[in-house]
Amino acid sequence: MTPCVLRYAVLSIALGLAPLSAAPAAPPGRDPPLVPVVYSFEAFREAVRSGGPGKDGIPSIDRPRFQSAGEATLEADDKVIGVYHRDQARAYPQRILVWHEIVNDELGGEALSITYCPLTGTALGFKRGETELGVSGKLVNSNLVMYDRATDSEWPQILGVAIDGPLVGQGLEEFRVFWTTWGAWQARHPETEVLTDQTGFVRNYRRDPYGSYNPLGGYYAPDSRRLFPVMHRDDRFPPKTEVFGLRGPEGALAITRESLREEGVVDVALGERRYTVIHDPGLDTGWAFQNPQGVEIQAAELDFTAEGVTGSGIDSLEAVNGFEAMWFAWAAFYPDTHLYEGKEAP
Amino acid sequence: MKPLARVILRMLSRPATVVAVSGIMAVYTLLYLWLTGDIAGDGMGGWQAAFPAWERAFQTRGPFQFEPVGLIGLGALVWTFSPFNTLIAAALGLLVGSNVVAGWWLWRTPRQCGLGRTSTGLLGAIPALLVGGACCAPLALIWLGLPIAGGLASLTPLLVPVALLLLMAGLWLSLRRLVREESLR
Repeated sequence: MTPCVLRYAVLSIALGLAPLSAAPAAPPGRDPPLVPVVYSFEAFREAVRSGGPGKDGIPSIDRPRFQSAGEATLEADDKVIGVYHRDQARAYPQRILVWHEIVNDELGGEALSITYCPLTGTALGFKRGETELGVSGKLVNSNLVMYDRATDSEWPQILGVAIDGPLVGQGLEEFRVFWTTWGAWQARHPETEVLTDQTGFVRNYRRDPYGSYNPLGGYYAPDSRRLFPVMHRDDRFPPKTEVFGLRGPEGALAITRESLREEGVVDVALGERRYTVIHDPGLDTGWAFQNPQGVEIQAAELDFTAEGVTGSGIDSLEAVNGFEAMWFAWAAFYPDTHLYEGKEAP
Repeated sequence: MKPLARVILRMLSRPATVVAVSGIMAVYTLLYLWLTGDIAGDGMGGWQAAFPAWERAFQTRGPFQFEPVGLIGLGALVWTFSPFNTLIAAALGLLVGSNVVAGWWLWRTPRQCGLGRTSTGLLGAIPALLVGGACCAPLALIWLGLPIAGGLASLTPLLVPVALLLLMAGLWLSLRRLVREESLR
C-alpha cells in the first residue's frame, strides 16, 4: 500500500511541476543593458500613458505567412521594414505592421521579434528566445511599450530596456532591421520573402489610420503635432523630422538624414569612443560602427551588398545597431543626445 | 408604468416617428462606426465580402471595442465588420433617435404649468455624439491634430457606459415629462 501511495505522491508532484517546467523562458537580455537609460525606472513608469486599446488590443502577428517577391502587390515607394538574418531576407510592409506593431517570427532558426511603432516612426528587431513579445496598449513618450509573454515585463521599444516587471533594468538583445522602401529592398534582396496580409486578423490593410508616407502626410508630416506628452521636449527640429540614431554606453547620437546623405561617412566621438556611420545610398539608411582605431573610411571605396557594407577598413570596425526615429521621440528618450547636423553646422 | 407605456405606444403608432428614429439611428450608427475606424476609405472598388474570423467575434481590442470577423468592401468604402461593435453603435443610435424624437414631441406639445421648453432628449444626444468621436480617442484626435490624446485615452473605458446612462436618463426624463403633459391635458 505504501509504495502505491508513494508512487501517486511522486506522480502528483511531477504533474504539478510539469506546467512550471513548460513555461517559456524570459527573452535573452543584458543586465546591465548596453544602451543608456537617462531617467529612473520610476520616472519612466510615471510617464506611461494608456494608448487607448487594451493589452493585445493591437494584436501581434504570431503566425506570419510569407509570399515571394514576385507575388507581392507593393509599389516601389511603399515603406517596408527589411530584415536580413542568417542569409534569409524578409520584408514586412509598413501598411500591415501599422495595425500589428509586432511580428513574432523565426529567421534562420532563430526566434525574433520585428517591431514597429507608428507614433515614433521606429522599427527595431529584438531576439525573443522562447517567448513572444506583445503590445501592452501603453505608451511612453508616444513610443510602443511591449511586454514579454513569459514574465509580463514591460519594455519601451526605443529604450529596449524593461521599465516594469520582474526583468526591470534588463536590456533586450537587438538586431538590425531596415526602414526602407519596397523598391530599394527588392533591389538589394531579389529573393526576399514578403509578409502577407493573411495575418489571422481582419484589418483594412490598404489604409493607414495615422496618415501616409507616400506622399508624406497626416501624422507623419514633419510639422504635425505629437499626440501624447513627452518626458523632454526639444524644438530644434519639427517633431516628426526623421533622424538616424545610435546609442552607446556613453550616450546617444542623432544624425540628421540630410547630413548623412550629403557626407556619406560621418565620424563622431561620444565620450572616449569613436563612431563611424556610413550612408547606404541604396537603402537610404545608415550603417553604424564603433571605430576604436580611428580608421578613415572613404565612401568611394565602399560597396553595399546583401551582407552589408564592404570595403577598405570595414573589417576593423564593430557594428552597432542604429535606426531611424522621429526627432521628438529620440530627444524625449535621450535629452542629452549628441546631435550631428553636418560639418558646416556649428 | 401604464401612462408611460401609453405614451411610448402612441409615439410608435405614428409611422413618421418610426421613420425618424430609424433614420437617426442609421446615421448615428454609420457615424459611430466611421469615427471608431470600422468603416473607412481606400476600398478596391466594386464589392467584396469575406468573413474569415468568426472565432474572434468575442475578442476585445479595447473597452467596448471588438475584433472584426469579416470585411465588406463597397466601392471606396471598407467595413471591417464586428457584430458587437455594430450592436453597440445601433443601440446608441436607437437611444439617440429616441431622445431626439421625444425631445421633438416635448417641444411641439402645448406647455402647461410652467414646464420649460428645454428638450432633455436633444441634450442627451450631445454626449452620445461625443462618445462616437472620443471612443477611438487617438484616431479622432489624429484627424484633428489635437495633442490631448494622453488625457482622453485614459477615459475611453468610461465613455460608452456614460453615454448609455446619459441617453437612457435623458429619454426617461423626456418620457416622464410627456406623461405629465398628457395627464394635465
